[in-house]
Amino acid sequence: MQDVFIGFTSITWKMLLMYGIGGILIWLAVKKEYEPMLLLPIGFGAILVNLPLSVVWEHEGASGFLKILYDGGIANELFPILIFIAVGAMIDFAPLFKNPMMIFFGAAAQLGIFATMLLATFLGFDLKTAASIGIIGAADGPTAIYVANKFARDYLGPISVAAYSYMSLVPLIQPPVIRALTTRKERTIHMALHESSAPKWLKILFPIVVTMIAGFVSPMSVPLVGSLMFGNLIRESGVLERLSQTAQNELAYLVTLLLGITIGSSMTADKFLNYQTLLILGMGLLAFVFDTAGGVLFAKLVNLFLPKEKKINPMIGACGISAFPMSARVIQKMANEDEKGNIILMQAISANVSGQLGSIIAGGMVLALVPLLVG
Amino acid sequence: MNSIIENLKYASTSVQALGVSLGGLIGVFATLGLFFVLIWLANKVSAAKKD
Repeated sequence: MQDVFIGFTSITWKMLLMYGIGGILIWLAVKKEYEPMLLLPIGFGAILVNLPLSVVWEHEGASGFLKILYDGGIANELFPILIFIAVGAMIDFAPLFKNPMMIFFGAAAQLGIFATMLLATFLGFDLKTAASIGIIGAADGPTAIYVANKFARDYLGPISVAAYSYMSLVPLIQPPVIRALTTRKERTIHMALHESSAPKWLKILFPIVVTMIAGFVSPMSVPLVGSLMFGNLIRESGVLERLSQTAQNELAYLVTLLLGITIGSSMTADKFLNYQTLLILGMGLLAFVFDTAGGVLFAKLVNLFLPKEKKINPMIGACGISAFPMSARVIQKMANEDEKGNIILMQAISANVSGQLGSIIAGGMVLALVPLLVG
Repeated sequence: MNSIIENLKYASTSVQALGVSLGGLIGVFATLGLFFVLIWLANKVSAAKKD
């Protein structure tokens, strides 16, 4: 008789709490529209995997469908790579070609990764886990999943949730940090717009050469950079329009759907409900704050050496994170609030696409450097 | 370079993190710097062709 009611008798308070957490993620997706394409499947996956007996994961030695998806898409890093192909097909580097100086903000805003990694080690995490927590600051979900899967698989759930949640909260996180670090006068700096259009040969050559340079400088970043640039090459080649559209739409949606629910399945109560999860969520938020501060302060530093007519609006620095195009939109909105008609959107987008490059290079650096020290 | 890595292997976790942070940031700036040179050169070539 007990077997008949095993579904009820095996419920624990931890499971109930996980249903609540799954429900909150779904609520954030539906009601607040925070990254709904990811938070909704993640929330539902979290509920599924914590149901009694966890049949969707594994039962009586047989793999459930979520474990099959996990092994086939996350454990072997296939889903993040496919997402990168889709993202590459969506990126237009033309604004960056017009404002190449903006590329350095894509490097400066990676400060959050490294500052958070350092902080995590002070809080007692080992170097690999600390690096995985720091990568939340890449503001780049697939990179965070890729690195966490290699270095800290047990924390994949909280790291992914933090990465995607804070990406959707960029409009709330960045403005107060920027206002705290800049004066209104600095935020009203105008920037000249370069109207030249990038030649087609550059658009085609760029993804190829970037992949090769990344391969020489940071070989560990090649899976990330290579897939991103493959998607971009499809887009820019001009002869693969259908493939480009497929990558931007069908591939992106299908993999996102599977990625979300599979990430959710890593949120089992025993792995998720602990003190470390709270620390990871807290440090993830700090990583975004450090990113923003790093970009803004770097812009202010650069301004010290620029003539008055060429000064950079320091808000542009905050766009060096990978949350594209949300960060650029937030900064343009702030510029318009401080002075109506101040258009810095193109420069902001240039920094924002640079952030996409910077985050995957940073991910590659972490993947290369950490094993040198701890094996 | 090898001696720095060897020393870091036996350092505390936080010092190792500091080493990774410095190396990582330098690596990101250097790589994106190369991308900048690529774009800058391409823009120069493109402008020269137009002239």
